[in-house]
Amino acid sequence: MAPFYELGRFGDGMSLVVAVLLGIAFGWFLERGGMGNARKLAGQFYFTDLSVLKLMFSAILTAMLGLFWLTWAGLLDLSRIYVPETFLAPQIVGGLVFGVGFATGGLCPGTSCVAAATGRKDGWALIAGMLVGVFVFGEAFPAISVFADSTARGAWTLPQALGLSYGVVVGIIVAAALGVFAGAEWLERHAERPAQPTDVTV
Amino acid sequence: MTAREIRSPRVERGLAIAAVIAGALAAVAGTPTRPARGTVNVTELARVVEQEEDHVTAVELATWIRDGKAGLRVLDIRSDSEFVEFHVPGAARVPLAEIARMPLDSAATYVLYSEGGTHAAQAWFLLRARGVERVYFLRGGLYEWLEQVMNPRVTANAPQAERDSIRALTLWFGGKMEIVDTPSVLDGKLALPHSVGTREAIRKVRRRAC
Repeated sequence: MAPFYELGRFGDGMSLVVAVLLGIAFGWFLERGGMGNARKLAGQFYFTDLSVLKLMFSAILTAMLGLFWLTWAGLLDLSRIYVPETFLAPQIVGGLVFGVGFATGGLCPGTSCVAAATGRKDGWALIAGMLVGVFVFGEAFPAISVFADSTARGAWTLPQALGLSYGVVVGIIVAAALGVFAGAEWLERHAERPAQPTDVTV
Repeated sequence: MTAREIRSPRVERGLAIAAVIAGALAAVAGTPTRPARGTVNVTELARVVEQEEDHVTAVELATWIRDGKAGLRVLDIRSDSEFVEFHVPGAARVPLAEIARMPLDSAATYVLYSEGGTHAAQAWFLLRARGVERVYFLRGGLYEWLEQVMNPRVTANAPQAERDSIRALTLWFGGKMEIVDTPSVLDGKLALPHSVGTREAIRKVRRRAC
């Protein structure tokens, strides 16, 4: 029964080994998917290349269906899966800050590590920027802690928020994902033609 | 884009169909966690309750803990913060939801307690339904523990042996026995709170929950 670490099947040492292997695999597949390339990632904001959207949504779909059916099969204890807590307002603001950084730098934290690992200098620059940001946030935290802790919702999941069963939410997200994939491909086809370097408009 | 695009419409279609099927079935399945079911022998349970074999008194529990009863497992089913503030020595906190699915130890004797006695009695029923035979709950809950073990009140004319045994037990748990002139209203069995310490402790317990 999983999760192995939570239920004591993995010790601390083993869990670190597994984390390193999973991390390397994560980086490898991100790179193979072209996610270490800032141009490709920035294409998302011009609707010319929505690979990031499709990749992330595919990952969410895979994990969601896996968690649901493994739990259903009795192989996983869903209640032992950590759910990050929701702080509505600060996370919306944080998401906007993140988005500005993403659009400006062309990389997100994970992909900046991938870019750095393959020798791209912009990857290193973004990692440096990320570390500076972490430091500034940590130092500024006492001043913004009232806001950062506001609108707390605890471990808040979609089934709770929508008042629907897990299965129905899973079904809706699968349908939404397929719609988004089709829409993304349509956008890519229609945005590509005018997307010459000279006439790109945001 | 410069990156090579290797795409297989066939694989993509296959994955999309698989996702649709898995998602549609999930919507039908509703919840991924299957209910844990148990059966009870209603006649037997009624007898156990009637014979008062379903619970222990605080003094009995205290004696078991002090004497190191083999396989004793005391479970506190209150909230985490309540547990941190005060709990019966040696107790482990187990939320009610966990009672329904925690791994069971067939050699153990479980004693459940809550703030009053209701939740513990309900948890007792859940464990019986899961097939546990040796499970008891603290009848008066934590209140009874505070009154009878931590701050017992004994009348001056009680037999010396009884006074000595209660004092020894109370001291073992770091409590304080009080000797009073008048017997308590409820004959000392499940006395109302009297000493200032007990009243204060119970007031704190009550304020935390409800």
